[in-house]
Amino acid sequence: MKFFAWLLCTCLILLTSCSSSERELHIYSWGDYINPEVVKKFEEQYHCRVILDTYDSNESMYSKLKSGATGYDIIFPSNYILDLLNKQNMLQEIDKQKIPNLKYLDTHLIDLLKANVEANSIPYMLTFSGIGYRQDHITHMIDSWDAFGQSKWRGRMTMLNDFRETIGAGLKYLGYSVNSTNPEEINAATDQLIKWRKNLAKFESEQYKNGIATAEFLVVHGYSGDILQVMQEDSGVNFLYPKEGAIISCDYLAIPKNAPEFELAHQFINFLYEPKITALNMKWTLFICPNKEAYQYLEPALRDNPVLFPSEETLGKMELILDVGDDVVKYYRAWDRIKSG
Amino acid sequence: MKSKFEEVGLTFPSALWLLVFFLIPTSVIIFYAFKPGDLYGGIQEGWTLDNIKNLFTPHHLVILWRTIWFSLITTAVCLLLALPTGFFLAQTSLKNRRILLLLIVVPFWTSFLIRVFAWKSLLHPEGFLKKTLVFLHFVNDDTLLLYNAGAVLLVMIYTYLPFAILPLFTAAEKFNFNLFEAAMDLGASRSQAFYKVFIPSIKPGILTAFLMVFIPAMGAYVIPDIVGGINNEVLGNKIAQRTFVDRDLPEASSLSLALAMAVLLPMMVIFWLQADSDKKIKKKGF
Amino acid sequence: MNMKRFSFWVTFAVLVFFYLPILMLVITSFNESRFGGVWRGFSMRWYFQLFSEETLWKALKNSLLIGIGATLVSSVLGTLAALSLHRYRSMLQKAHYGLIYTPLVVPDVLMGISLLLFFVTIHLQLGLFTIFVAHTTFCLSYVTFVILSRLQTLDHAIIEAAEDLGANYWQIFWRIKLPQLFPAILSGALLAFTLSIDDFVITFFVAGPGSTTLPIYIYSLMKFGSTPIINALSTVLIVATFAIVWIVQSITREQK
Repeated sequence: MKFFAWLLCTCLILLTSCSSSERELHIYSWGDYINPEVVKKFEEQYHCRVILDTYDSNESMYSKLKSGATGYDIIFPSNYILDLLNKQNMLQEIDKQKIPNLKYLDTHLIDLLKANVEANSIPYMLTFSGIGYRQDHITHMIDSWDAFGQSKWRGRMTMLNDFRETIGAGLKYLGYSVNSTNPEEINAATDQLIKWRKNLAKFESEQYKNGIATAEFLVVHGYSGDILQVMQEDSGVNFLYPKEGAIISCDYLAIPKNAPEFELAHQFINFLYEPKITALNMKWTLFICPNKEAYQYLEPALRDNPVLFPSEETLGKMELILDVGDDVVKYYRAWDRIKSG
Repeated sequence: MKSKFEEVGLTFPSALWLLVFFLIPTSVIIFYAFKPGDLYGGIQEGWTLDNIKNLFTPHHLVILWRTIWFSLITTAVCLLLALPTGFFLAQTSLKNRRILLLLIVVPFWTSFLIRVFAWKSLLHPEGFLKKTLVFLHFVNDDTLLLYNAGAVLLVMIYTYLPFAILPLFTAAEKFNFNLFEAAMDLGASRSQAFYKVFIPSIKPGILTAFLMVFIPAMGAYVIPDIVGGINNEVLGNKIAQRTFVDRDLPEASSLSLALAMAVLLPMMVIFWLQADSDKKIKKKGF
Repeated sequence: MNMKRFSFWVTFAVLVFFYLPILMLVITSFNESRFGGVWRGFSMRWYFQLFSEETLWKALKNSLLIGIGATLVSSVLGTLAALSLHRYRSMLQKAHYGLIYTPLVVPDVLMGISLLLFFVTIHLQLGLFTIFVAHTTFCLSYVTFVILSRLQTLDHAIIEAAEDLGANYWQIFWRIKLPQLFPAILSGALLAFTLSIDDFVITFFVAGPGSTTLPIYIYSLMKFGSTPIINALSTVLIVATFAIVWIVQSITREQK
């Protein structure tokens, strides 16, 4: 009886000591996406708390939102899911008047990559996907998506668990567009992926970072920023953009309908576009935030990094993932086929 | 005087809760399974058998078969390991029994996810265990311990073994070990006594152990997700994929129905077997 | 003694099997290296980092809140259910029994998705409340069966004696049944609490914004990296579990 009473008291104390009356900003984003320092600075400046939930794919974020997870103020959809969110009327209009820092947007880069300034959103980050590998374990690395066809690395490779990215890799390898709706091209890419599949350990979109850092995996299909983070700590890891062309997705900031903190969300977006803050973020995520005033605040090592800032030639071979509308079903069926081999 | 009113009153709270939060959600699944989905995570008007038909595509059948197969192997190995363990526990001293039971149950009280994660680290291709096994020439340097069926089965057996040990031990505890002596006095050998006297009398325990491993194994989701490879997808993973990635709730529902059927069938068989053995016992007048 | 020796060795092997990963977790939690596998020296840094992780404490708070809530409600409902199942033998109780038994044999995934679809259909926002509801639902069955099995072994002689002396049902209930039942209710509550704290799959399906529980937090750590903190967390949890079990054991031994 005494133990029970003691337990109850402890719990009551714990619970009553943890309530706050501050405003809370709920952010739903990818993992490791915003520099914790940036979050702290915002919390201090605007006297609020920021609560971060993470997802590992656009699709699972969309599913959660669609199935009733309201309460998020800011989400980070990639452009192709942004189209879908707009069609489904799940976003609120962003008041650009409240975001004066938008004047820093690097329109040249946006145009070059044919990313648009979409409705109800602000471009946040450009993510490039390519191949990360352990150069201390591999002497002759192949500069192609066909690295995944090498049986000598069997069981030590992963590809992204993202059907657009992975099928896209197959399409790029065969010389087709990442946004193809041609059933023959998609089938050819699927067959190619089924061949590569034999050498893969898993389809993994997040754990490949740790995997390559601990040498669990030797070759991973991953995002440039993620691998750069590992490279900074481990010189045994390197990254390349395959010669057939890498894949870009542009991530945007958006505000879902029924977001509780509409004003605060705008303040956060504006805060993110503060050039020094953007630079702070870029240092952490190692992806490009298209803020032309931010680049000057980066160290030279980062400014000249070919992985972070690929050459115009490399950029030219890259392709942006776009929404394919109802043809996405073809990709679903292809992904099922690939997953079951 | 027991009144009907009192009975209903006592039953009402729990029955209502389960009605609303268990029975109705289950019907919602049945409802969703027969509705056509749209591409955007919702459902459309009208009814369709497409989701049920899609269950019979090779893709899904492979997964269904694999789920059943994994569960059967896991259950078989668990039973094989749990039988001697339960036997030992039942006829060791009371003090030993308490300590051993505690030792068996406590790991089970730590977080399930953490235990799966521990196995992932243990089976790391450059980890301590792998290096030891290579040193002892049990495996080659390029044998993979992770991301294959072996890893999934190993961790599943690890997770569900306590569920098999406990019911078997409970049944073995009630066994009168004097019967062993009696059988051998009548001329039976040790193993004859074991198979013809011990096993049949703990049959209810075996059946319970079977169910307690088989059913959760059929619903496995986390283990294949974390230590499984590309070819080790089971129903649980597929349902999660359809729900969270493909946003195809009707198909997730039809897969769920398939899982429910696959679980119900062995259950019915086991119940029939248990009722049958109860009848036999009654006939023999024990 | 062939059978005895064989079964002894199997039991021993099983125990080694059980504790192998746990031992590994504890050892690597003191490893200086960021990535397990290579021992780089003894260090407590992961424990220090663990205690300053704010998200962890929030997740723990959520888990405790839901755990206590689900335990309380399911204990009350479970006790009532067990009492009615024990006392009456009608068709209603047969149906009642089926209703309580079925959740025990439904796999987690099914329960999770059915509740998710249900909440979506009635437009109930996903969050701490939906998790609480889900947990109470599956805990209810376990609590009921624990209490029911104890009810069936109650000392009926005392109850009959009290009835003979003219006590009515409620007097018997409060003064005889409930005190005798109390250990069983406590066991049931403890079981419910454990199940709730450790639940992952069902919670994963019905969680909403900002309603991260401890298992969900652990899962996200596993998915998004930072492995050594998990080892430290695991060790803390294991030690805590042993401690709680030890305390409970001592108390029950005292009572006896």
